[in-house]
Amino acid sequence: MISGHALLTRSAPLLACLGLLGIWQVAALIINTDSFPTALEAIRAIPSILGDKESLINIFASLRRMAIGFGVAVIVSIPLGLMMGRSRAVASFFNPLLMVTYPVPKAALMPIIMLWLGVGDIAKMLVIFLGVSLPVIYHSFQGAKAVEEKMLWSGAAMGLSAAQRMARIVLPAALPEILTGCRTGLVLALITMVTSEMIARQSGAGNILFNALDMGQYDTVYAMIIIIGAMGIGLDAGFERMRSKLVKWSEPGFDIPLSFA
Amino acid sequence: MIEIDRVSQVFRTSGRQDHLALSEISLAIEDGAFVSILGPSGCGKSTLLYIVGGFVSPTEGAARMKGKTITGPGPDRGPVFQEFALFPWKSVLGNVMYGPRQQGVKTADAEAQSRALIEMVGLKGFEHFYPKELSGGMKQRVALARTLAYHPAVLLMDEPFGALDAHTRTRLQNDLLNIWERDRKTVLFVTHSVEEAVFLSDKVVVMTRSPGRIKEIVDIDLPRPRRRAELLLDPRYQKYVVDIERMIDDTSEDELRP
Repeated sequence: MISGHALLTRSAPLLACLGLLGIWQVAALIINTDSFPTALEAIRAIPSILGDKESLINIFASLRRMAIGFGVAVIVSIPLGLMMGRSRAVASFFNPLLMVTYPVPKAALMPIIMLWLGVGDIAKMLVIFLGVSLPVIYHSFQGAKAVEEKMLWSGAAMGLSAAQRMARIVLPAALPEILTGCRTGLVLALITMVTSEMIARQSGAGNILFNALDMGQYDTVYAMIIIIGAMGIGLDAGFERMRSKLVKWSEPGFDIPLSFA
Repeated sequence: MIEIDRVSQVFRTSGRQDHLALSEISLAIEDGAFVSILGPSGCGKSTLLYIVGGFVSPTEGAARMKGKTITGPGPDRGPVFQEFALFPWKSVLGNVMYGPRQQGVKTADAEAQSRALIEMVGLKGFEHFYPKELSGGMKQRVALARTLAYHPAVLLMDEPFGALDAHTRTRLQNDLLNIWERDRKTVLFVTHSVEEAVFLSDKVVVMTRSPGRIKEIVDIDLPRPRRRAELLLDPRYQKYVVDIERMIDDTSEDELRP
C-alpha cells in the first residue's frame, strides 16, 4: 500500500524535470527559430560535449576553481562569522564592511579583479570566494549569536576555556545555521563560477557555453545549460545529504517528545 | 562554606537610569546545607546565584568559596538552569559524559560513571536519545546528571523546576531530595515557590523585590528524610509556608506604596 504514494513522492522531482522539458519542447516547436533549439536537440548535443576530452578538461577546470574558492571561503568565513556572533567589537568592525559588499554583484567586480590578477585561475577563484563568503559569514554570525548563554555557562563550569567553548559549543550549536549558509554559498559558487568565465574567457564550462553562443551553436549552448543545471542539482543533493546527516539532532522531523516525567 | 559579602549589582539599562538589582547582600552558606533563595520575580535572586557561579561579577562586594574570592566559573560549582541548557548535538550519554571527559577522565570510566548517574536520575534506557526527543522533565533530569557527573562541591539550581508542570515538578522535587540525602552536597536553590523552598530546604532566604535585599532568613526545622505526604499534613510545615507567604505579601505591598 505504501508503494503508490511513496513512489509518487520519490519520482516527483523527475516528473517535474520531464514536465519542464516537455514544455520546452512544445514551446520550441511553436516558436520554431534557430536560436531556440528543442529540448531533444539540446539533449542530443550533451553526449558530444561529455565525450569530448577538451570539454571535459574545461568542465573539470571549472569545478576545480569552484571547489577551491568554496573551500577557502568556508574555512575563512565560519570562524569569522562565529567570532562576530560572540563579540560585539568584532561584529561592529566587520558589519559595515559586509553591508557594503553584500549588494555588489560579485561578478561585477571581475573586470577590476582582472586588472590586478589577470584572467587566470586566481581572479576567478577570488570572485567565487567573495560570492561564497558573505552568506556563510552571515549565517555563521546569526548561528553564533543565537547560542544560548546558559549553554556556554554550563561549559565554562565544566572548565572549558573561551577558545574551547568557541570550538566545542558555539560551532556545533551553530552548525545547522552554518550549513544553511554553506548551501546557499554552494549555489552561489556555481553561479559566480559561470559568470566569471563569461567575463574572463579562457577555460571552463562557462567558456564552452559562451563560445558556442558566439558561434551560433545553439544546441551546444542549451546542452551546456542543462549540464550546468545538472551539476547544480547534483552538488546540492550531495550537500543536503551530508548536511542532514551532520545535524540530524536538530531536524524538526526528529521532534517527537516522549511522554515521561 | 560560601560567603556572600555585601554584594551589590547594578545593571545598566538602555534608559538613563541604572537599575539596582541587588543591594548589600550578605549571606553565609554552610557546607552540606540546602539553602533556598525565595523571592518575587525581578528580585535579583538568580543574579545572586550567577554571582556565586562566577558567571556574573558583582558591581560591589564579593562572593567567596572556602575563603577564596570567586572570579569565574569552575567545576567546584555546578549550575542547573531552568532552561536545561543541554548540548542538543549530544545524546543523553554524551551530555552527561561531557564534564568528566573535560576533566580528563578516561572514556570508559566516564561512560561507566555516566551510565550509573543516568540510572540514578531514572533515565536508564534513554542513553542514546537526543535532548530534542525528551520531555521537559527528562531534560532536567539529564541536566542534573550532567552537573553531578563532574562532582561539584556546590549545586547551583536556578529555578530548575520552573518550566515543568505541577506533577512532574513534584516528582523531580522528591527525586532531588533522595539524591541529595545520599551525598549531602551544598545546594543553593533559587525558586519563587514557597512550598518548594520549605519542602526542600534547611534554610530559606526571603528576598524583597527591587532592589533585592534579604528580608529574612528562616531556618526550616523539619525532620529528614522528608516525605511529601507526611509533610503536607504536618502543622509545622504548614506554618512555615503561611509565615513565609505573609512575608512575601508584605514586601509586595511595600512595593506598591508610592
